[in-house]
Amino acid sequence: MLGYLWSLAKPLMYFTVLWVVFGSLFKPGIERFPLYLLIGIVLYTFMADAVTATLPSIVSSGPTIRRIAFPPLVIPLASSLATAMTFLANCVAVALFLVFARITPEPRWLLLVPLVLELYIFVLGLALLASTLFVRFRDVGQIWEVGATLLFFSAPIMYPITILPYWAQRLVELNPFVQVLQDVRSVLLGSDPATGGVPARVDGRLLQIAIAVGLLLLGLFVHRRSAPRFAERA
Amino acid sequence: MNGGVAIEAVGVSKTFWIPHEQRARLKEYFAHPFKRVAYERNDALRDVTFSVAEGEFFGIVGPNGSGKSTLLKVLAGIYRSDRGMVRIGGRISPFIELGVGFNPEFTARTNVEINGLLIGLTRKQLAERFDAIIEFAGLERFVDQQLKNFSSGMLLRLAFSVAIQVPFDILLVDEALAVGDADFQQKCLQTFDDLREAGKTVVLVSHDLGVVSSFCDRALLLENGTVHALGDPGDVIETYRPEAVVTA
Repeated sequence: MLGYLWSLAKPLMYFTVLWVVFGSLFKPGIERFPLYLLIGIVLYTFMADAVTATLPSIVSSGPTIRRIAFPPLVIPLASSLATAMTFLANCVAVALFLVFARITPEPRWLLLVPLVLELYIFVLGLALLASTLFVRFRDVGQIWEVGATLLFFSAPIMYPITILPYWAQRLVELNPFVQVLQDVRSVLLGSDPATGGVPARVDGRLLQIAIAVGLLLLGLFVHRRSAPRFAERA
Repeated sequence: MNGGVAIEAVGVSKTFWIPHEQRARLKEYFAHPFKRVAYERNDALRDVTFSVAEGEFFGIVGPNGSGKSTLLKVLAGIYRSDRGMVRIGGRISPFIELGVGFNPEFTARTNVEINGLLIGLTRKQLAERFDAIIEFAGLERFVDQQLKNFSSGMLLRLAFSVAIQVPFDILLVDEALAVGDADFQQKCLQTFDDLREAGKTVVLVSHDLGVVSSFCDRALLLENGTVHALGDPGDVIETYRPEAVVTA
């Protein structure tokens, strides 16, 4: 039980810092800003932690890979699913905030399932690529750190996407993470100019879904090609 | 059971390319995009051909660096051979590099569970065999300790115990008897007798020529990755170490 609270500590502290800084100093002008921010942080933490945890997983399983023949795909899968468990625990915190805000469940919340699935596909693709490349290039870790920071500041986690110029909005929205984030917010909090409407239709998201699936396929392809040599290189 | 082929290897070759300078970073490709890296070519296995019949005890001997462990890893499916063909008739249990891939941070219990599942046990089979594994290793007192606090003898016992308690047809053993004490060696030799009784196939890599000559039906001598002798263990050991036959 205490272990569960511990896993909540990181996103909640992150949330508190950003809430104090942005909620009171900058006044972003978003309705229900604490929830807006919390959803963004919980989703971002899932993505960033899953990739960060999976990145060294194949290399650190080297001793096992060198002694037993098994499909090495289970390593990044296990690693990313472990982070998904923490994510589900964090969702309970979001649920508590929703209760405090007197937001009641609606049928459209069912859309959260495909949205989270889409995010996991995107995250798994990234994690597969990163963990496979890390076997050969040990500086992928540093590159991912920069990438994670870029993903954090380019996504409308703590600011409304409307503060960006129009061309930048279109560019940032190509990121499947941003699309999922905005859609989850409008499902839970209702539509708002900052989130861009309710995700009732799939056709506006085809490109982002294709990017997420394409990244997963690329990750699987790279992983499968490198897998026979993991025992020599990891 | 009888007359079947457990392992067939035809023309197996494995080459490692070892770069003279490490190029493990993207940075190096970025800084020197056109630099060519010189490689050391190491032919660990060259055109190795042999077969092992079901129920046979097969010894592999040779000096350090002759390719014995590489050959075992190719048989276990851990390395992919560059040329040649390997056919395995049955389920393999590998015991390689003094261990089955333990994580030192986890307890003995967790390691046995993870390894059992990776080798292919179901949860039920694992639960049935768990106590037998720990008992054979003689580690009942240390089940819930982290492996980093184990001695090398304890690790060896645990790993060997896992390898022989999982269901298998073919056991690959790389230097099992090197670290264990006299008691455990005795236990292992007893196990070999039981395995022979049960009609299992065993491939044994060892520097203990006495064990090879007394337990193996046939043996193979590897030198520089090539087969130097194959056949009766006495003859193979004679080729390897003419003086060792007298003492064995």
